[in-house]
Amino acid sequence: MSMLSYQHFPIYAILVLFLGAFVITAFGRKPTVRHIVAMLCASCSLLLLLALITPVMLRGETIAYWLGNRVPAGGYAIGIALEVDALNLFFGLLVTLALFVSTLYSLQYMTRDEHQGEYYTLLMLLGGGVLGMVLSGDIFNMYVMVEILTFSAVALTAFRSKVYGALEAAFKYLVVGSIGSTCILAGVIMLYAQAHTLNFAQLSALIPGNMTPATKVAFALLLVGFATKSFIVPFHPLAADAHGAAPASISVLISGVLTKSGLYGIIRLVYMLFGTMQLGSIQLMLVFVGSVSMFVCVTMALAQHDFKRLLAFHSISQIGYVLTAVGLATGLGLSAGLYHAMNHTLFKGLLFLAAGAVLHETGTTDLDKLGGLSKRMPHTTVLFLIGAFSISGIPPFNGFASKWMIYQATYQKAVESGNIGYVLVTVVALVTSTLTLASFVKVTQSVFFGQLPKELENVKEVPIGMRLAMGVFALLCVLTGLFPNLVTTYLTEPASRAALDALGYINSMMGAGYAESVMANPPAALAVNFAASGVWAPVNWLLLLCVTLLGVTVVASLGKYESVSEHSGERVSAKYQLFYGGEENWDAQVGGGDMFWGFKHNWRHYFSFMHDLHSGIVNDYAQWALVALALAVVYLQIVL
Amino acid sequence: MTTILNALLYLGYILIYPGFLFCFFIGLLLCGIDRKLVARMQKRVGPPILQPFYDFFKLLGKETIIPAAANRTVYLLAPLLGLAALVTIQLMVPVFGFTAFSGMADVIVILYLLLIPALATIMGAAASGSPYAGVGLSREMVTILACELPLLMVLLAIAKSVGNAMGTGLCFSLSEIAAYQSAHGSLLFHPSMIPAALAFLLVIPGETGSHPFDAAEAETEICEGMLAEYSGKPLGVYKLSHAIKLLTMTSLFVALFLGGLGTGIVVLDAVIQVALCTVVTVIMISFVHAITARLRIEQIFKFYWTAVAGLALISLVLAWFGL
Amino acid sequence: MFKKLIEESTGKSPWLFHINAGSCNGCDIELVSVLTPRYDAERLGFQLAGSPRHADIVVVTGPITRQSLNRVLRTIEQVPEPRCIVTMGSCPQSGNVFRGSYAIAGPLSKYVHVDVDVAGCTPKPEAVIDGLALAAKILQEKRRAMN
Repeated sequence: MSMLSYQHFPIYAILVLFLGAFVITAFGRKPTVRHIVAMLCASCSLLLLLALITPVMLRGETIAYWLGNRVPAGGYAIGIALEVDALNLFFGLLVTLALFVSTLYSLQYMTRDEHQGEYYTLLMLLGGGVLGMVLSGDIFNMYVMVEILTFSAVALTAFRSKVYGALEAAFKYLVVGSIGSTCILAGVIMLYAQAHTLNFAQLSALIPGNMTPATKVAFALLLVGFATKSFIVPFHPLAADAHGAAPASISVLISGVLTKSGLYGIIRLVYMLFGTMQLGSIQLMLVFVGSVSMFVCVTMALAQHDFKRLLAFHSISQIGYVLTAVGLATGLGLSAGLYHAMNHTLFKGLLFLAAGAVLHETGTTDLDKLGGLSKRMPHTTVLFLIGAFSISGIPPFNGFASKWMIYQATYQKAVESGNIGYVLVTVVALVTSTLTLASFVKVTQSVFFGQLPKELENVKEVPIGMRLAMGVFALLCVLTGLFPNLVTTYLTEPASRAALDALGYINSMMGAGYAESVMANPPAALAVNFAASGVWAPVNWLLLLCVTLLGVTVVASLGKYESVSEHSGERVSAKYQLFYGGEENWDAQVGGGDMFWGFKHNWRHYFSFMHDLHSGIVNDYAQWALVALALAVVYLQIVL
Repeated sequence: MTTILNALLYLGYILIYPGFLFCFFIGLLLCGIDRKLVARMQKRVGPPILQPFYDFFKLLGKETIIPAAANRTVYLLAPLLGLAALVTIQLMVPVFGFTAFSGMADVIVILYLLLIPALATIMGAAASGSPYAGVGLSREMVTILACELPLLMVLLAIAKSVGNAMGTGLCFSLSEIAAYQSAHGSLLFHPSMIPAALAFLLVIPGETGSHPFDAAEAETEICEGMLAEYSGKPLGVYKLSHAIKLLTMTSLFVALFLGGLGTGIVVLDAVIQVALCTVVTVIMISFVHAITARLRIEQIFKFYWTAVAGLALISLVLAWFGL
Repeated sequence: MFKKLIEESTGKSPWLFHINAGSCNGCDIELVSVLTPRYDAERLGFQLAGSPRHADIVVVTGPITRQSLNRVLRTIEQVPEPRCIVTMGSCPQSGNVFRGSYAIAGPLSKYVHVDVDVAGCTPKPEAVIDGLALAAKILQEKRRAMN
């Protein structure tokens, strides 16, 4: 195996990030040096993983890599391993892509901050931690990486410590995040005590047939631990605080990468390590938690009037979609869920970057104080709109393609299982999607359109580097929306197959025939159906729309549609002022605070309940975590 | 040669039937019939049936004023995008056996495509900068939200019902729903689908923003809401889109619930479709308009999420148990 | 052909915007009665518009109080061309019983060109319809002049 063989790429991708962190600490006093090192590390890591697409995704290989070449001996895996199959690689690609774009954005976004050396160090540590976690082949290393990523994320949340609430947010995150990490550690210990191994593949072979009460508790602990990392209900308040305080480039990573690490952990646990996904009770649990996250968080988002907090709640709402789809345990569902996970990284990253751009130029993210920015920041507006349409599932952007698959998957599941409860999930998913649209209409109206407040007259467009970073995400949002077939064929379906193929995973790690020798009835790779029952041809539709739009535009310009009366000069004459009952220049921007009264009024009891529930006190949130843990333990003891 | 002919054929679909010309004339005509009938129901003489045409052409001849606070590009582009998106939907709705562009989108996609014209209006309204438009768009969004739930449940009920009958368990494809109806008779005459049809009928005035669900465009309270700052040609395009939306929603109803009444001859089918659309418009738009007063926005929401969604739910449950 | 069509249509679809410039409400009620089933001005295409941007004909009632003057003028400015200004009732034309009051800035014709005056206190609905029909003709003329 030569040094340049692709077998080594995963470890290089992780190492280069950690090395970068040290190099920046040591030599990063000059901005150019740390910028170059950070960009170099992030792009190297991305390129290394991109190079793995051909062997892993297309050829279906699994890379089992033993550090120091300590291969299993005597049927026991002792060494540290990395295992990269299509699922790991899928998440690894998301991580490195988000890290790359975030670093690119940081170059110009962070120029006004102090302690940038530390910032880039932590950034690289965070990226390396998450990448290490998703590529790791043993569960203890997963835990170590979880600790690295949690602490770097906490530190980065508090990075702008002079901003009001930053330290508080970091503290909350630290407390509940530590509960999560502790849960993971406890779960790992219990598994080790039961199975005497930490290797993921070996555990996957030993555990499923031999469930003891202790392994069930371990299962609950690990599930809750990973759930805190992905911020699903009831851990959602942390995310809102953290996103509100952290720099936008970090929000991209927290929402696009950190939550994915939690999701990855959950997928691996339920599909492989405990092999429980064929059980209706486990499916029900995931779908229930997912649907609740989706709905609760979107309504929470609707009540926000801070741009970034709103985005934070939407982020978890979208994670709810992913969890729901993954919990269906069907081929289409898993594929749709992974598709949505990818889209979530893209559009959520884009939106957080846009929010960061607004903050960078105006100094605020309060929806009630902003307005009319589209005239000052036209590019940011377009990029934001692409993100907003994507997340709201407007065709032909990527959010639509994946959500549409999720609707199909949930309804198909309902029909196949004969359980009418899943219809409710379809309905909740679609209503959530419309509420998401409503929420982004609110943002669009109160940040980018409407009237420009006097204080924001001198706002400028953000520097080119930041627009470029947003542009990368926007382009990917459009492309992945227009070619859903390519995405599913080359990315999500291989990843779903890998997630379902426990046998292949175990054997490629432990040697052929191992799983069959250990397991009483080794799981066959499930034959799953990826076909959706609906029809959606985005490219054709877009072509048709373009033709009709062209027709309309040609007719319109023949009819002198463009000949308009427009205001010119310094003073706005009466004719071009807004009509406001004859008043002059009345500044009456409709703020975001209470935009959807008609909806909220009907749900006022729900909203006041939620308002009282979210006390903002960390003790409460820690209690929620413990209650969730207790519930998980009891539930799993009963059903397994 | 055949490709050229095919291209010409598709161009004909887009430009003439069921595309622009058809939408333009029939949409505005439906609007005119509606206005005339409402007037007659109120014992008035009413405007001539061609009145919407006069309104449209008059608006083309008016000055277009762009307020200083508006974002010019979005302000001008949004109406055109909305119109194009609507025509695109019309091209995909089957007319009995005939569909101009099939195999492109299923019913769930149509549900989303219907959002695009509304969204275009919302974006244009937001771009105009007017506070009235701000209030209007917030109401419009709530109306969309209100309609979305019953509409989805209706579509799921149809998908399940048709899927049951076809043995596939599920059917989201529009053309298959149309084919099923031509083989087994209209869905409206299936007992389990009657509540769904009723729910869909009730959604039509909400989606098109007509009485009593026109809180978003209330001319007396919020100066026509979203369109408050629009004038001249863009306003004309919006009025046209509104008329076409009437046609789109009614022909969707015809396609989903009254399929199978066609004859197989395209021209004759078109006539039947227009006649059926007119009937639906008269019942659900004109009649309801004449006898109701405007509802408040939260009443609209409540109505759709309780009464209409309840109707749709009945159908869904009935379809679920194979009735 | 289109020019002809637009010209014809302009006369057939006049939309009204009503400004109350301190009226006693008598004219306002009569204007609304013009649209009721009894008189039904909609048969001539008249429609009340909610925003001046949509209007063709501005109907001003009331004696133009000082407080309302700027608002009236601004709103009239905001109506796109071609537009017609109709004063309804004697107040905006002469000040009527309010003439000479310190609070009155009228008549309206001091500030803008008024196309049609419908006199009376209040004018009969028939007279209003007659005036509006005349305004619609003037509107059509104005549109023709724009070509």
